[in-house]
Amino acid sequence: MPERALEGLRVVDLSGPMGNYCGKLFADLGADVVLVEPPGGTALRRDPTAFAYHNANKRSVVAELGDALVAALAADADVLIETERPGRLAEAGLGWAMLAEANPALVTVSITPFGQTGPFAQFASSDLVCLALGGLLALTGYADGPPVRIAGDQSYVMGSLYGAVAGMMAVLHAEATGEGQHVDVSLQECVATALENAPQFYDLEGIVRGRPTGMQRQAGTGLYACADGYVYLYVGGLASGRFWTRLVSWLVEEGVDGAEELEQPEWLERPFLETPAAKATFGAIFGAFAAARSKAELYEQAQGRGIPLSPVATTADVAASPQLRHRGFFLDTPWGVSVGAPYLLSATPWSLDAPAPALGADTDAVRAEIGVAR
Amino acid sequence: MTGGALDGVRVLDFTWVGAGSLTTRLLADHGADVIKVESRSHLDSLRTSPPFAGGRRDGVDRSGYFAERNTSKRSICLNLRTDEGRALARRLAARSDVVANNFRPGVMERFGLGYDALHAEDPSLIYLSMSMQGGTGPHSEYLGYGLTIGALVGLHDLTGLPDRYPCGTGTNYPDHVPNPGHAAFAVLAALRHRRRTGEGQLIDVAQTEPTLAGLGPTLLRYLRDDLVEQRTGNHHDGYVFHGVLPCAGDDRWLAVSAEDEAQWTALCETLGGTPDPERTVTRDAYELMATLQARGVAAAIVQDVADLVERDPQLAHRDHWLRMEHAVMGECLYGAPPFRLSATPGGPRSAAPLLGEHTATVLHELLGLPPDEIAALEAQEILW
Repeated sequence: MPERALEGLRVVDLSGPMGNYCGKLFADLGADVVLVEPPGGTALRRDPTAFAYHNANKRSVVAELGDALVAALAADADVLIETERPGRLAEAGLGWAMLAEANPALVTVSITPFGQTGPFAQFASSDLVCLALGGLLALTGYADGPPVRIAGDQSYVMGSLYGAVAGMMAVLHAEATGEGQHVDVSLQECVATALENAPQFYDLEGIVRGRPTGMQRQAGTGLYACADGYVYLYVGGLASGRFWTRLVSWLVEEGVDGAEELEQPEWLERPFLETPAAKATFGAIFGAFAAARSKAELYEQAQGRGIPLSPVATTADVAASPQLRHRGFFLDTPWGVSVGAPYLLSATPWSLDAPAPALGADTDAVRAEIGVAR
Repeated sequence: MTGGALDGVRVLDFTWVGAGSLTTRLLADHGADVIKVESRSHLDSLRTSPPFAGGRRDGVDRSGYFAERNTSKRSICLNLRTDEGRALARRLAARSDVVANNFRPGVMERFGLGYDALHAEDPSLIYLSMSMQGGTGPHSEYLGYGLTIGALVGLHDLTGLPDRYPCGTGTNYPDHVPNPGHAAFAVLAALRHRRRTGEGQLIDVAQTEPTLAGLGPTLLRYLRDDLVEQRTGNHHDGYVFHGVLPCAGDDRWLAVSAEDEAQWTALCETLGGTPDPERTVTRDAYELMATLQARGVAAAIVQDVADLVERDPQLAHRDHWLRMEHAVMGECLYGAPPFRLSATPGGPRSAAPLLGEHTATVLHELLGLPPDEIAALEAQEILW
């Protein structure tokens, strides 16, 4: 067994939904992550599947925030992750400054909707509210309809991920210098990093990007219906001409009606591709071709010709992917099939060693390790 | 400049376009010396992608799309299609802690810059590869972009109204957060291991798997319970109300979620009835947001980018938007990293580099090349 990348790191995880994935990132690379739950269990347990995913490889102890065990754990830890309303931990005697006094090398990662201070800091929030104030909600949905949120509580995923990145930077600094610090993550700002080029379009060209109009962004780029769902085609974008040429050759070879028209030079010009007429013409030609074929067929054949096209996959399609299976992305564990590694590290592999813990399963063991009696 | 957490770490950065460049930006903004290897013979396509300063493309140094992804970096020009260019790249790799790329599998190997070759010369090297679907496997040669990845991993299908076509995010979402975030975390973990043991390693990131990891519960519901989740618009299980309501004005919306009966009651009292569009469409979104927040209901105006940049008091309080001077673009807008570090603040140190701006400096500083040799290599289109 090789040494784990984060072996020896002790992480106290006080987080709720906004930060639960953060601790998992540390745990899966070998840190000892202790999830601290109130006596009735963390609210995360209301969704057993999400709980199982985000808390595998962690240990569970039951303790109220005011319990001496929590302060003792923090005094002995390298990292503390928390998602409480700003000020709440200080009220419980666990504020960053107080923790740092007992443990100057501690890295405290606070993941909150808007950060620790500021006019919105005490606002009520949710994934939807973070997406709304972070600007991504305005870009997602239909130009002729309402904004629609990105699936899967992504603002929480983003907050956890950036919390882990910043927390790891702080760990490197603490291990080199003995100096810990407070990492203050704002979910709103996390969402604002996902706006693509919208801030620059506004700043440089005065254009406020909105939600996409229709299924095609431009002729050759966008969503197209096929026999069993949709595919996403991307030939009119950044890399331009060569993908277009390959696509048109394919359509011509297949004898698709009207395909020859797409060989005309105007189809290599972005402004033309953006016209409603170009979208309508291309949509009719490619649409008829795609309608007779499945997602899987179109994917394989397009990619075989070097054309960027993907199926609009369902989770069932994802689970059947031969590529993901080749990479070992789905794991057979004694406690069921599991979702695997987001990265393959050759010397210090990611690994899933234990299922999510039962409530308080490790309370006695952790109390004994830390030396704090009930 | 306050010290960054990654001061002293050098990254030789062959990444381009989206996910790779954002990964190395996270490192650069926090002190790493990131040397972006570019070439006039094979441009990062973002350099010629809109938006442009003043709306004019005019060269390769005016793209805001490129600029946002490349703060705090140095740029050198190295023509990897020449033997001499590849030899210089290997010498620079030997002076680096991390080598990063997001090419298709095999490209770096053809340049003699693959993991095996560089690792043989320096076993402590951390080598980040971010190809589309990973280094090996039946689809490892397949092409993609952020939008096609979003489709391939299921996110596109899950996002949208149930009775309409799936709308996806409208952006190359996997490029912006899941891929750079996971890749940067892996590099940082590998840096810790290297400091403890002296051992480097290969980090193989497929640009599908980080986004899938972020959809873990959705995948588990299929793998364990055979449940294929469908898109549900703005609905969210476990909430009494979770939705978006139209307000007065052009494309103005209020996002509201009510978790319990008390919030639901406060919402209905504020609106004078249940949260239906006809009750909100004449109301001011900012006023509703303030009233509902005062009653403890999670409510927010759906901000567009002009709201974010011009009007949001919280982002202003956090100094999220920065303006930095760029030699060609003038002063322009950059977003800060979404976290504040109390001891090692970091943050963008400089605007994006001009193409090849630091070629001479870097080759002199790291390889000791004298100015006349650098000039000769430029004339031969090796430093090109």
